[in-house]
Amino acid sequence: MSSKIEYTKQPIPANWTKIGMILTVLGLALVGASFAMDSTRATFNSILGMMFIISIGLGALFTIGIEYLAGAVWSTPYRRVAEILASVVLIVPIFAIPGLIKMHDVFHWSHAEALQDAILKNKSAYLNTTFFIVRMVAVFIIWIVFYFIFTKNSEKQDITKDQKLTKRNIKFSALFMPLFAISLTIMAVDWMMSLEPHWFSTIYGVYYFAGTFLTGLSFITIIAISLNERGLLVKGLGEDHYYSLGAMMFAFVNFWAYIAFSQYLLIWYANLPEETYWFINRYEGSWAYVSYGLVFVHFVIPYIILLPQPAKKDPKRLKLAAFILIFAHIYDLYWLIMPTYTKQHGIEGMVFSFYEIAFPVLIIGVVMVWFGIMSKNKNLVPIGDPKLQQAIDFHL
Amino acid sequence: MSKNLFAVAGLFNTPDEIIKASKAVNKQYKKFDVNTPYPVHGMDSAMGLKSSKLGYFALAFGLTGMLIALSLMTWVTTKEYPLVIGGKPFFSLPAFIPITFELTVLLASIGTVLSMIFIFFKLPNNSHPIHDTNYMKSVSNDKYGIYVLAEDDNFDAEKVKALFASLGAADISEILYNEDDLEEDVQVYQHFKIFDKKFVVGLLSIVVVVSGLAYYMLNKLFYMAPYNWMMTQSKVIPQAPVSDNFADGFPMRNPVEGTVAKGFMPYEYKGKPEEAEKNLINPSEVTPENLALGKIKFDIYCSPCHGYFGKGDSRLNGQFPNPPSLHSEKARNFKDGRIFHIITDGQNNVMPGYYKQLSRDDRWAVVNYVRVLQRSLNAKEEDLK
Amino acid sequence: MDKDYSKELSVIEGKPSLATITHDISVPMETMPNKAFYIALSVTLTFLGIGAFCLILTFIYGIGLWGNNNPVGWAFDIVNFVFWIGIGHAGTLISAILFLFRQKWRTGIARFAEAMTIFAVMTAGLFPLIHVGRPWLDGYLLPHPNQHGLWVNFTSPLLWDVFAVSTYATVSLIFWYVGLIPDFATLRDRTTNNIKKLIYSVLSFGWRHSNRHWQHYEMVYLILAGFATPLVLSVHTIVSFDFAVSILPGWHTTIFPPYFVAGAVFSGFAMVQNALIFIRKVFKLEYIITLDTLEKMNKIMLLTGTIVGYAYGMEFFIAWYSGNPLELFTFVNRAFGDYAWAYWIMMTCNVFSPQLFWFKKLRRSIPFMFVVAIFVNVGMWFERFVIIVTSLSRDFLPSSWAYYKPTLIDGGILLGSFGLFFTLVLLFTKAMPVISIAEVKAVVDGSQPTHHGGHE
Repeated sequence: MSSKIEYTKQPIPANWTKIGMILTVLGLALVGASFAMDSTRATFNSILGMMFIISIGLGALFTIGIEYLAGAVWSTPYRRVAEILASVVLIVPIFAIPGLIKMHDVFHWSHAEALQDAILKNKSAYLNTTFFIVRMVAVFIIWIVFYFIFTKNSEKQDITKDQKLTKRNIKFSALFMPLFAISLTIMAVDWMMSLEPHWFSTIYGVYYFAGTFLTGLSFITIIAISLNERGLLVKGLGEDHYYSLGAMMFAFVNFWAYIAFSQYLLIWYANLPEETYWFINRYEGSWAYVSYGLVFVHFVIPYIILLPQPAKKDPKRLKLAAFILIFAHIYDLYWLIMPTYTKQHGIEGMVFSFYEIAFPVLIIGVVMVWFGIMSKNKNLVPIGDPKLQQAIDFHL
Repeated sequence: MSKNLFAVAGLFNTPDEIIKASKAVNKQYKKFDVNTPYPVHGMDSAMGLKSSKLGYFALAFGLTGMLIALSLMTWVTTKEYPLVIGGKPFFSLPAFIPITFELTVLLASIGTVLSMIFIFFKLPNNSHPIHDTNYMKSVSNDKYGIYVLAEDDNFDAEKVKALFASLGAADISEILYNEDDLEEDVQVYQHFKIFDKKFVVGLLSIVVVVSGLAYYMLNKLFYMAPYNWMMTQSKVIPQAPVSDNFADGFPMRNPVEGTVAKGFMPYEYKGKPEEAEKNLINPSEVTPENLALGKIKFDIYCSPCHGYFGKGDSRLNGQFPNPPSLHSEKARNFKDGRIFHIITDGQNNVMPGYYKQLSRDDRWAVVNYVRVLQRSLNAKEEDLK
Repeated sequence: MDKDYSKELSVIEGKPSLATITHDISVPMETMPNKAFYIALSVTLTFLGIGAFCLILTFIYGIGLWGNNNPVGWAFDIVNFVFWIGIGHAGTLISAILFLFRQKWRTGIARFAEAMTIFAVMTAGLFPLIHVGRPWLDGYLLPHPNQHGLWVNFTSPLLWDVFAVSTYATVSLIFWYVGLIPDFATLRDRTTNNIKKLIYSVLSFGWRHSNRHWQHYEMVYLILAGFATPLVLSVHTIVSFDFAVSILPGWHTTIFPPYFVAGAVFSGFAMVQNALIFIRKVFKLEYIITLDTLEKMNKIMLLTGTIVGYAYGMEFFIAWYSGNPLELFTFVNRAFGDYAWAYWIMMTCNVFSPQLFWFKKLRRSIPFMFVVAIFVNVGMWFERFVIIVTSLSRDFLPSSWAYYKPTLIDGGILLGSFGLFFTLVLLFTKAMPVISIAEVKAVVDGSQPTHHGGHE
């Protein structure tokens, strides 16, 4: 083709790291304070935080895998952003520590007396501390291994421009997909569904996946558009290249709504007490408003923003939608996790104060700092990728 | 037949050429069109077209469908035909969502496509001058064509031809139309006239024959009697001698002598009011519940003739003889058993027995209530305390 | 030979000229059918006749001729309904979802797959109508003011089905027809026969290939694709609601909606792939429906087959994890009870056989993929059988447990449904262009301006 890939390596804006540092310090202070004041509530929030950071890392990792597997071209210029973002899987284990230390405060099934409960006794082959930790470690190892495989091959390609590396990554992503599905389901079941150990829903893993992918995509959208506006990505990227990001977000906003509605409708309609109590907990007192709000934050508002065709190309509206979706995911996790806390501690209605802000602030800060660290000495675009030229030439 | 010039058309061989040509034409002329066998990328901006507004149509139709679905379902389930289903409220929004969604999509799709074809394209139109020209045949196969209409303000046939030639057109032609046809307002079709009389008659006769045949076949030839197999199927009817279970043909036997049906107590004082008064003892306990029951039953079965307060002021406006007051000396002196007997067996005059309508307990409750009514008009000293 | 990832491979092999494409796709409609066609048609018509005969018997003597009996009140009829609706899903996926994902390889197969969607939905729609036992009362399924003052139950998933399936049929038909308009215009301009010309003129509305029209046309195509995508998800979702909103163990599970959709796409692709293998050979369209296209279809079958496998696994895991003895019993009974044979047919065909598509050689071998796709269809039919029959045959009251056995009439109607479907497919191949002429032309190498024109 006519034009050549024009890319010069530049560092990411310095104030990102600065803002990240401020948020991290602020977050650490809030986290410290919350553990000092009410460690149980803080632990519940640490699970929220962990699931949030998993969503960022795994959403990005999934984007990489699916791009290789589907042979997608549009996402190639953004893949390095996804790769750097996926590096947060390396720091995910840190956020599992509070949950593990204070396990007995949050996981009812981990108590010795839980075995007197006939149902929990049946489940003890799965829900026991040892197997829980084994699963968690295995899942972390899988994620980290695949992170290294994908990025090492991709970065090597920057220099060698060897097409075999693409082929190798395609093979690994085919292997990654089933493992991704199983590992993400395990994490969702273990860390969130088992908070209420009697409750069960087969769609739960898919539900969490929908939020995960949206979060990963939203982070990629914000970072990629911001970098591109500053001219830090490759030349020639514009509205036509944003379109697919917007379309993907729009599609998955719908997908999330579809999955959430399916789960709700089936449980609401069948009205079996062993299932409905989970929704009733989220419907009592002020929790009802949180539940209604979820529909708007996670579906109605982003849907309306992203519906018009021009919105999918407009960087401003895309970033707005992405910010809302990140907030929506935190909101969703709060809705999934915290009612268990209020129920266990006999609190009427919802709770919200600095405890609930602490971890999201900390994580956004940490991710910004970590992005700065991991992007050092790296090209922000996979300049050796054979599909890059094609991606730049792409027009709607 | 006079032919008029409709447009001057040029044919091109490659997509690059046609893009170039349409850009050039767009600079000078307003009324032109490009015809390609498939949508060519970038042609919209080359022709200077504004983006399509059909999206708004889709939105409007979709919202209409949504509104229709929601309001119909709400009206039916809450107003017109309210049924409790699965213990859910009449207005169950989650259960309405599937149909709302379907109707939204249905109306939006149909509406958008119909408005595209009929409003935006003004189709069907089989009488456009370019139909059946060599130009049309080429662009529907493998050529890329452009034509400038004669009615354009800047139109000059020679200039347009020169422009096409300079752009490298493979073929340049004039498209003519037949003025007579336009004046007569007839849909032109050079080979085949759609509104030709013969064709219309043929179509009509097909319609008549097909519908006649269908009517004959469905209503005469393959006529099926209405579904009445439940009437005619072989079955046992308890009251008819249709089975061979027993010698007399009846499928069931009469109950043994002296059988008492469940919940039924034979009444032994039929026609013997004095004996009833002497022997029957009111078994019920006077409680507020019992009296309430008595009041309900009295108001339903007794009050039409006796009046709400037993004064004998019938509401039947003389269609029936008015009964005597229940507050008479005689009635007040009846024992409970006598009143019970009257309710059960009726009086020799017009009052029938109510044992079919009122259970034993009901009747005793009515007796108690009658006592209350009597007492209310003839209170004793002690009641005033 | 390594693939070159830097270039986008053309989905059409060998850079044919536009005129060749028009000619090759139009030829079947301009020639008389050959002997093979008549043989095939007579076979499918025989099947259709058997089915019609069984149906007439059913109408005369009632559905007592079927194997359905307490507690298995839903059996072959509903199994066939879900199966055929599922077959239809591939068409919409190819024409709408792959369109939104800008997968160019869809162009060669979209038209045919859409036609199969419509025929499959027609076949499927038959079953609920006959299943009610008194098909002459089916009109009451649609809400309308009537002299009885009756209204339908809007909160019933069975009624949602009525709306979903009829909407799906209508929108698929519209989508398909919108795609056909330019092709009818092309055929109109090709034909020399006046009657054909009349028919094509009417069908094409007088389409002129005008770019002022193409612009709106592309917009509408996008909008329709945008509508059809959630619609196709909703259809099988609502079919799954028929089961999942109940409280029967084995039916009531929240993963049913996405799992049914994946299964539907899975079996639909298998059916489309089977038919395309014949079409490309018979009509010599191998350069449009390429081996690469078939391979991509196999990859999608691998993907959806694995999703279905995930759902089976998740169901089993949660049945055990829930600690609910009824759930657990149902699933153990599926795998080791009376219907274990059906369960293992399903597992072998649906989960294990597509896993062979991990190997590129097998994925590109036509005889092999043909056999696997047949396996997949058998497996998906049995999946519905397993879900419906095993759960019902062991309901809450052990005294009414029973073993369901289909009758010959059941089998005849199933055969008839295949007869109906393939008869329609055969007639379609000779009556309309099996491949979209305009869409294929747009993806041939060199058919688009080198710089995409306007973007300078």
